[in-house]
Amino acid sequence: MTALLEVRGLATGFGANRVLNGLDLDAEEGRATLLLGLNGAGKSVALKTISGLQPAWSGSIRLSGRELVGLEAEDRIRGGMGHVLQSKAVFGQLTVAENLRLGGATVRDRRQVAENMERVYTIYPRLRERASQQAGSLSGGEQAMLAVARALMAGPRLLLVDEPSAGLSPIMVEALGHTLGEIRKTGTTLLMVEQNVGFGLELADDVYVLEKGRVVYRGAAGELDLARVSALLGIGELLGPPKPTPAPRPARTTKRAAGTTKAAGATKAPGASRARGTTRTTKADGNGTAPNGRGRKEADG
Amino acid sequence: MVLFFAAAAALAPVLSRVAPGTFTPYLMLMLCFGLTYALAALPLNLLMGYAGQISLGHAAFLGLGAFATGIITGRDGLPFLLGLAVSALVGGLSALVIGLPALRLRGLYLALVTLGFGLAMFSLVFRLRTVTGGYAGVGVPRPEAGTFVFSRNADLLALIVVIFGLVWALDRNVVRSKVGRAFLALRQDEEVAAGFGIDVARYKLYAFVLYGALSAVAGAVLGTVIGFAQQESFTFDVSLLFVAIVLLGGARSRAGVAVAAFFFGFLPRYFSFLHGWELVAAPALVLYSLVRHPGGLGQSLELLRSARFGRAVGRGRQGAPVADGPGLGGGGAGGDGAAGDSGDEDTVATVTRLALPRPVGVDGAAASGGGTLEVRDIVVRFGGLAAVDGVSLAVDPGRITGLIGPNGAGKSTLFNTVSGFVRPERGTILLGGHDVSSLPPHRRAALGLGRTFQQIGLVKDLTVVDNLVLAQHRLADYGTPSALGHLPRAARREREMTARARETLVALDLERLGIHRLDQLSHGQQRIVELAAALLTAPGVLLLDEPSAGMSPAAAEALAERLLQVRDELGQTILLIEHHLPLVMATCTTVHVMDAGRLLASGPPAEVQSDPAVVTAYLGGVRV
Amino acid sequence: MAAVIVSGIAAGAVYGLFALGLVLVYKTTRVLNFAQAEIGAFSTFVAYALIVNAGLPWGLGALLALGAAAAVGVGFERAVIRPLVGAPRLTLVVATIGLGLLLGGLEVKLWGIDPKLLPTPFHGSGLHVADVYLSPPRLLALGITAAAGLLSVWFFRRTTFGLALLAAAHDVVGVRLTGIRLRHLSAFTWGVSSVLGGMAGIVISLSLGAFAPFFLNRIMLLGFAAAVVGGMTSLPGALLGGIVIGVTEALVSHFWISVPGLVEAVMFGTIVVFLLVRPIGLLGRAE
Repeated sequence: MTALLEVRGLATGFGANRVLNGLDLDAEEGRATLLLGLNGAGKSVALKTISGLQPAWSGSIRLSGRELVGLEAEDRIRGGMGHVLQSKAVFGQLTVAENLRLGGATVRDRRQVAENMERVYTIYPRLRERASQQAGSLSGGEQAMLAVARALMAGPRLLLVDEPSAGLSPIMVEALGHTLGEIRKTGTTLLMVEQNVGFGLELADDVYVLEKGRVVYRGAAGELDLARVSALLGIGELLGPPKPTPAPRPARTTKRAAGTTKAAGATKAPGASRARGTTRTTKADGNGTAPNGRGRKEADG
Repeated sequence: MVLFFAAAAALAPVLSRVAPGTFTPYLMLMLCFGLTYALAALPLNLLMGYAGQISLGHAAFLGLGAFATGIITGRDGLPFLLGLAVSALVGGLSALVIGLPALRLRGLYLALVTLGFGLAMFSLVFRLRTVTGGYAGVGVPRPEAGTFVFSRNADLLALIVVIFGLVWALDRNVVRSKVGRAFLALRQDEEVAAGFGIDVARYKLYAFVLYGALSAVAGAVLGTVIGFAQQESFTFDVSLLFVAIVLLGGARSRAGVAVAAFFFGFLPRYFSFLHGWELVAAPALVLYSLVRHPGGLGQSLELLRSARFGRAVGRGRQGAPVADGPGLGGGGAGGDGAAGDSGDEDTVATVTRLALPRPVGVDGAAASGGGTLEVRDIVVRFGGLAAVDGVSLAVDPGRITGLIGPNGAGKSTLFNTVSGFVRPERGTILLGGHDVSSLPPHRRAALGLGRTFQQIGLVKDLTVVDNLVLAQHRLADYGTPSALGHLPRAARREREMTARARETLVALDLERLGIHRLDQLSHGQQRIVELAAALLTAPGVLLLDEPSAGMSPAAAEALAERLLQVRDELGQTILLIEHHLPLVMATCTTVHVMDAGRLLASGPPAEVQSDPAVVTAYLGGVRV
Repeated sequence: MAAVIVSGIAAGAVYGLFALGLVLVYKTTRVLNFAQAEIGAFSTFVAYALIVNAGLPWGLGALLALGAAAAVGVGFERAVIRPLVGAPRLTLVVATIGLGLLLGGLEVKLWGIDPKLLPTPFHGSGLHVADVYLSPPRLLALGITAAAGLLSVWFFRRTTFGLALLAAAHDVVGVRLTGIRLRHLSAFTWGVSSVLGGMAGIVISLSLGAFAPFFLNRIMLLGFAAAVVGGMTSLPGALLGGIVIGVTEALVSHFWISVPGLVEAVMFGTIVVFLLVRPIGLLGRAE
């Protein structure tokens, strides 16, 4: 496996507020990588620092081996990166076609632009129907599609997507998830941030969990230590009544090894009070229903 | 300062009589010009540096004063002091009339409107023969006091020194009072200002009216020094010149601006060797200092002074954060390198007794807690999309009520509707039993609704103590005259508020940070200062908007204990929006869950967290 | 009456041109450019120096003067606006005031304060339209404004660069994420806006007959009034506002010719009334 994107020791923040604290991650070519974490863990900031919207304080970001730190966002985009923001903002006063045209503005070859446009319209037939409509008048879901489509127009090798599901209705979330899957199949590498864990896991190949701007868990989506992930995300309690077990306050460790399920419960559940070192969670059941009270598994702690 | 001005005023006539060879009448006149320019620049400094607005009609306000005084003292032979008073009145009223439409809008429309005002005054009013004597202008005689006429330049200079001293003192009083702090707050962020109960529109207008009145007084003096008021003295470029002077002086520095203005009034007449190059050099310097040296002359003066007194003045644009403090703040977001880790350790240990001082001017019973908040059937739409779709909920007095839900669920919109920044399509908001649905944000704050912001809702370039004093805005119950004169009532109130701010810092174990500018603190420290600021206003109901955002889990845990303490010891009613569920579960008595603009579930945390609908909303179609 | 209105429209075309430059900068950067008048005056001085002092042909001199205007705009963007990215808007507005003063000071130093005369390039006798006489400078103004208007419509709807500028007015980050280099856009905006100011300056100096440092300050008021009437962010609005202002000016001076300065007062009133009653102007859009 070759990593298309290699991030090493990345740090950034706002004034005195340090958000990323030595972030290391890889996005493997042709795979979908998912970043999970609590609010404020630095997921969105990580994407923004990778695309250059937020300046890096230190560390390295390499795309196919080429160092990006120091380059303007515009030049990173030109170097084969796309970034869909959480707001999924489109240029509201321009038409759908004009939005897409701007998306492909950096592609010199006109035939290539037409080809990309065709590809985008194939993925999102709805946009073809609305090509001459003002983007601002589209529904929220259609705007989200347009935002993704616009980023695809430049034919990026790596697409950063920030919370694709946020603010969308369940049907739209499903549709968007489907198209993101399509996009990955055509060879575009995805790096996503998602709050909706279920939705994110359906798409992802590799999963990282961030806490305080560092990676505290890394694993393949198929063999995830669900207990630890849900403990790290503080959603363990939601999946069942808490069973208070006194636990010593654990030391903070940063676990980056490719190891997955066997990770000892040495990492503190963020913010989960000391009494809740042990968490119950449910096993994957794949049918998409609320998993309440099924197949419990004790986390080793 | 008073002594200084008194001495200077006394010195001028004496020196000119003792050593007439050195202190010639010409030099005295030039000093008059210099000082008058300084007098004229002070009000513009107040407007630009504090209220954050520009006037491009400065010359018109100066002209108003000059002509008014000329007409009153020259044409009608009335006393000079009356001339000054009428000038102030005319200037203030004009500002009121043109400020009303311009300041309602956000942005710098005042610059546009004053541009029009300046040109209209110049080309129409100032040359009406019936009013101002047309092109010839109006003579402005030297002032008289009884039988004494200020005919000698040195005597006039003494008089101007006195007037300057008074305006200086007035300016200083304003800046020091709640008025000046309100200006600074609204300059940075109008929503934050409103959150402290500051009536933004009124204070903006207030700043402009004060500016108009003081500028006209300066104009009256300028007319007296020149000897007549004439249209040609009040062109548009004069307005531009004064804007440049304020910038060169470093907006907000009274001394810097006064010095810069003094030289512009004094030098050109004396040092003709510049051959007009100052016309090019001055604006070039302005541009240079804007880009390279934004503090202007005032900052240089400040550095000079601090060097002399050997005290460090942290004035960097983005100073390094103060070393990790204890209290909740140390949590995580400390200085460079690994400061974040060490910060975590001392956060949990240091939650001590919460000895917040009682609020000033509010009696014990009403001081805190006991507030109720109820929202009924709120609907908010943004362009057809219902962000909040018929939500009703009640916040119990003396309890912490949580509001959770996935991103985009409408929590923040509901929050902003409660605090008054968003107008609901329908629905009622009851605060302490009163219907506040139609009140602007600052009125709701005054009725006891406190809030914090996701991005720290304090003024970055004020010190921590000043921020805590600012937060007590609605408790500063002294009137405007009292503020302008720094009268005993205002002075006493200010002392009490400052003392209370300091006590608060002691209670939070943050007293070392008091003199530091807010932006020199770590994020976590700023957060805790913000919480303290919100509590200082003794709100009946406190809205907290994601207080743990940007905090380490350990700091969030300490915050939970703090909040419980605030609830138990102060009986504070709190509505808490929070993503970090452990904090919600640990502190809230009741939790409301929103999704897609609607209430999904309400109840005790234990019930809510096992509600299947809630689990689905959070985890989507989970296959975990 | 018709004569008054037609000449008002002709004069208003130039105000529209001036306002177009103001709106272009405001729309894309939210900065009120108070240097626009002096950029126009400066270009007029450069044209004078090239045509009268250096003896260049009129057209070439004017073209080079517009080039100087563009250089001033781009230079200002590079040296002042760009380093101030993220600064409060007050600072940026004040910077434009500084630029205006700097250019005015240079004009005074280099050419003095005495009024100058820019020779007219026309030898024709103008046009009579429905017993209204349109002098050559007026015709030129109409022609240039119409061309500038059409050109800007084409530019903003048909070219990628123009679309990007429109988009950047609302969403700078979005444009950066398309890979279009925003720094070029910003410099371009200031350059084009300055050229529009330069055109307005030269054309106005022709119809006024003489010019001097700061001679466009009054026009700046009319230009801003036009921009406010048009809605501050609308390009067609700026042109329409210019015509409204031009006709208003013509009517006011026609009926109250004995009251000089009334035009300025009316413009002041217009700005105030529009801000009070209709802040989005005739063609602006609420945000």
